[in-house]
Amino acid sequence: MAHIALAIRTDNLTKIYYMGWGRYQVGVRDLSLEVEEGQIFGLVGPNGSGKTTTLKLLLGLIFATSGDAEVLGEPMGSPRAKQRVGYLPEGPYFYEHLTAPELLRMYASLFGLGGRQFESRIQELLELVDMWDHREQRVANYSRGMRQRVGVAQTLINEPDLLFFDEPTAGLDPIGARDIREVILRLRGEGKTIFLCSHLLKEMEPICDNIAILDRGELVGQGGVEELLAGEEQRYRVELRSPSEEMLAGLEQVADEVVWLDDTCRALFADRQAAFEAAARADDEGGHLLAVGPDRRTLEEVFIDAVGEVAPDASDL
Amino acid sequence: MRAIYRVARATYYEGWRRRFLNGILVFAILIIGSSWVFTYLQPGAELKMLIDVGLGSIRFFGMLIAVFLGTRLIPDEIEKRTIYTLLSKPVTRMQFLLGKYFGGLATVISNVALMGATFYVVFLVKAPQFAQPTEEGSPVYSMEFMYENIAKAIVLNFVELAVVMAIAVVASVVFSWILAAIVSFFVYFVGQMSEFFGHLADPETTANPVARMILLTIYRVLPHFENFDVRESILTDIPVIWPYMGKVAAMGALYVAVVLALGYLFFNQREV
Ligand SMILES: Nc1ncnc2c1ncn2[C@@H]1O[C@H](COP(=O)(O)OP(=O)(O)OP(=O)(O)O)[C@@H](O)[C@H]1O
Ligand SMILES: [Mg+2]
Repeated sequence: MAHIALAIRTDNLTKIYYMGWGRYQVGVRDLSLEVEEGQIFGLVGPNGSGKTTTLKLLLGLIFATSGDAEVLGEPMGSPRAKQRVGYLPEGPYFYEHLTAPELLRMYASLFGLGGRQFESRIQELLELVDMWDHREQRVANYSRGMRQRVGVAQTLINEPDLLFFDEPTAGLDPIGARDIREVILRLRGEGKTIFLCSHLLKEMEPICDNIAILDRGELVGQGGVEELLAGEEQRYRVELRSPSEEMLAGLEQVADEVVWLDDTCRALFADRQAAFEAAARADDEGGHLLAVGPDRRTLEEVFIDAVGEVAPDASDL
Repeated sequence: MRAIYRVARATYYEGWRRRFLNGILVFAILIIGSSWVFTYLQPGAELKMLIDVGLGSIRFFGMLIAVFLGTRLIPDEIEKRTIYTLLSKPVTRMQFLLGKYFGGLATVISNVALMGATFYVVFLVKAPQFAQPTEEGSPVYSMEFMYENIAKAIVLNFVELAVVMAIAVVASVVFSWILAAIVSFFVYFVGQMSEFFGHLADPETTANPVARMILLTIYRVLPHFENFDVRESILTDIPVIWPYMGKVAAMGALYVAVVLALGYLFFNQREV
């Protein structure tokens, strides 16, 4: 069997916060995860489900109540592991009085990097996140999205093998969010491992290889995105916008199930052939065909199944 | 070393940007710069007055800046969450603590060096005239060692600030910052009187053994800040000898090392 290298392995990782006066709060409980090298791993969950807690544990910013974890083969939080990771905190904060190049220079120097030839790397990173034009400006005068962009540039300064991103697209406009997703995909192309935390399921779905779902600190679902979305049995779907009466009657005869989503009619078939024939017929009859192909659940549906409630922040889904 | 230096450097520059501390510095320099004016209050003892006001202000305002800066350095990093990006880089908590300490100390020492330079100029200009008896019966000062002694007093003050700063920084990782400031001031003022507590701990003055234990503990544990005050020697123009300077500096360094080591034990457990 081929040996699969693990970038992260957690073993019953548990963090119970002590709130004073004998009160406790679960951060994350009995979390056991394995993240393979070279993949984009998404940790999703509603607000307060323990995503940030998990990241902080892995980086040694807070300490586990029980259980343990390895990051790049080193105990979590060890300086050796930190040499090779990058971390984008949630809503990152930086020294306000510095400009982006000064900030990157300072962070680089912590890795022993710097000097004249390093300046081109700083320019490259700032161009990557579209901040080179703002290089004279101090962090104090940045917008939220600009901080986020510099935050992403900062994670890459040491060419890390493993990246931790906590809500990387929070506060970004749609183009900014797309830029960051492209950066993430490019990093995977370079063989890096990316550990992503987010509740923006629509954004996570197309880029993650594997996903773990947290709810109130506990793991409630885990697996490859493809398997999770495909569900147990593969079905096929035909989607039509506002089909005519006869068309609908025809569909209902051949399809296993017909459901409505607003003005869209979705017919589900167990048989692939039957689905494509139905689609061809509808198209011939001048129907407004939206989609035909394998029926996939959305990550949102998987999430709601697992968490058993409405997805968080439904407004930004 | 590199990480300590980098954290210290960032801390040093950031320290200069604190308006409140800048305000204290400007105020201190105004007072010190005009310290010669105060001498009119005590005709006949102008030189003593000049030295008391000048060196006294340097010590007091230096201590104030050290406590207010020292107790804010690490809490600010935690509250403003700038610590996340630092501690997730290859920076150990020990390096972080030392970097913060030395960076903050560098800010305080440069502040106090400015105050000291201001005073030295005032002193150079005014002292010769004050050293002459102004009235019948007022003291005549020998000025043989005075200039050197004042410079040494300012250097000793740097050592004192290193101790105050260590206490302030460490208190701020153990307590909330307000409590840390109170603890630092308390240690400073009680430490000024440590000889007095030593004296009280004498069986002749205090009979109760429990009270004596407490007094003796205070005497042993708190830094002896009065050792940094050499005004006596300056006014009587006795040279502050190098062995004394060396001894006080060594004691100060030892004290700083112990306090920082204790602080590390706390900070290493601290969640951020
Ligand atoms: N320092 C702390 N002290 C006490 N409880 C905490 C602390 N930090 C987090 N918690 C609690 O731990 C739980 C998990 O919080 P966490 O920040 O990990 O959630 P999250 O999944 O990142 O949420 P979000 O999507 O809102 O960022 C929450 O109930 C939170 O209140
Ligand atoms: Mg979070």
